[in-house]
Amino acid sequence: MTEQNPTYAEQVPTFKLVLVGDGGTGKTTFVKRHLTGEFEKQYFATLGVEVHPLLFHTNCGPIRFDTWDTAGQEKFGGLRDGYYIQGQCAIIMFDVTSRITYKNVPNWHRDLVRVCENIPIVLCGNKVDIKERKVKAKTITFHRKKNLQYYDISAKSNYNFEKPFLWLARKLVAKSNLEFVASPALAPPEVQVDPELMQQYHSELETAAAQPLPEEEDDF
Amino acid sequence: MADNEKQPAVAKTETLFGEEQVEASPDPHFEPVMRLEEVEVKTLEEDEEALFKMRAKLFRFDKAGKEWKERGTGDVRFLKHKDTGKIRLVMRRDKTHKVCANHYVTSDMQLAPNVGSDRSWVWNVAADMSEGEVSAETLAIRFPNSDNAQLFKEEFEKAQTNNTSAKGSNDKAEVKKEEAEVKKEEEEKAEVKKEGEEKIEVKKEEEVKKEE
Repeated sequence: MTEQNPTYAEQVPTFKLVLVGDGGTGKTTFVKRHLTGEFEKQYFATLGVEVHPLLFHTNCGPIRFDTWDTAGQEKFGGLRDGYYIQGQCAIIMFDVTSRITYKNVPNWHRDLVRVCENIPIVLCGNKVDIKERKVKAKTITFHRKKNLQYYDISAKSNYNFEKPFLWLARKLVAKSNLEFVASPALAPPEVQVDPELMQQYHSELETAAAQPLPEEEDDF
Repeated sequence: MADNEKQPAVAKTETLFGEEQVEASPDPHFEPVMRLEEVEVKTLEEDEEALFKMRAKLFRFDKAGKEWKERGTGDVRFLKHKDTGKIRLVMRRDKTHKVCANHYVTSDMQLAPNVGSDRSWVWNVAADMSEGEVSAETLAIRFPNSDNAQLFKEEFEKAQTNNTSAKGSNDKAEVKKEEAEVKKEEEEKAEVKKEGEEKIEVKKEEEVKKEE
């Protein structure tokens, strides 16, 4: 669905990325943000695992992360070790407004490295857009002991939202100057809309125009 | 662009609040899974000229849930093709540069204001190509202020007029196809006539034979 150019999808270098962390830290919202651009405010606990291909265009060609978005809640966890097998990189996520989610980071890390030895891992403190930050910057030290990269991120404001993938990509292909570049904008078709369809479009447009856009203070 | 900044030698840890910084870990080494070298990359905008560029936030209407969903924040642009003269609207997200809108500006489109807002527009697209395959979308775009929204509307409408008069590659192909069909019909008619004439001749011959 998100393949920008499916014709060469098969040759795209692909990496298995395991995304873990406590329930409600924003893993699924983060993945969706990258997939479609949307920001999901409502919480729906992920059951088991959902795999999403995330395609990025870089100055070294396209690369893909098959992202294993796993259930954070223990009761929905399922085949935990099975999800980790052959993981080539990982993101551990916690919520900077919830101390317990940071406290659990060592457990997620332990389970992960038991299956995936010596893979590049990014630790992400999500929701930094929220004013009442509970996990202060100076208390975040776990990554230094375990050689993880750390980023403050916000899936809501997009702050640093590309950084975890950029860092992982650079490590996976040994290219420290890898950058994201403009993806190919294929020529759209020129279609003629028939009058019947046109009528339907008009009524749909009215419905949509009557529905207010989600409001945000810090828009741009 | 912010993401073109030079990277420091030691990976810096990114934090939001200046004073309190999360200390970075030493840049660790990992065995790469594969090695990639730099390649020439194409945007497929190489034969186009950007007529207009403005920061905006794009949304798409989710028909099932009857709600607007964010699609991306970045620069919305009108690109004019150097050969065909056709103008398309292209928008990419900040930082990842992924395409979130990509369609021709056609005369059947209509910018409608979004309820209660003087800085956003809603319109329908029959063939959006942002995901690499054609899809019909209802889009909305929001600007920082109503002045910018007005400028966008003017440019959008100019592009509509331009595209109506511009002879796109498809239009030309269409004309050629019609011409070819007319020719074919004429040829077929001629053939039928010929056949008819032959039949008459045969009849005549038969008549001649009978007389003998």
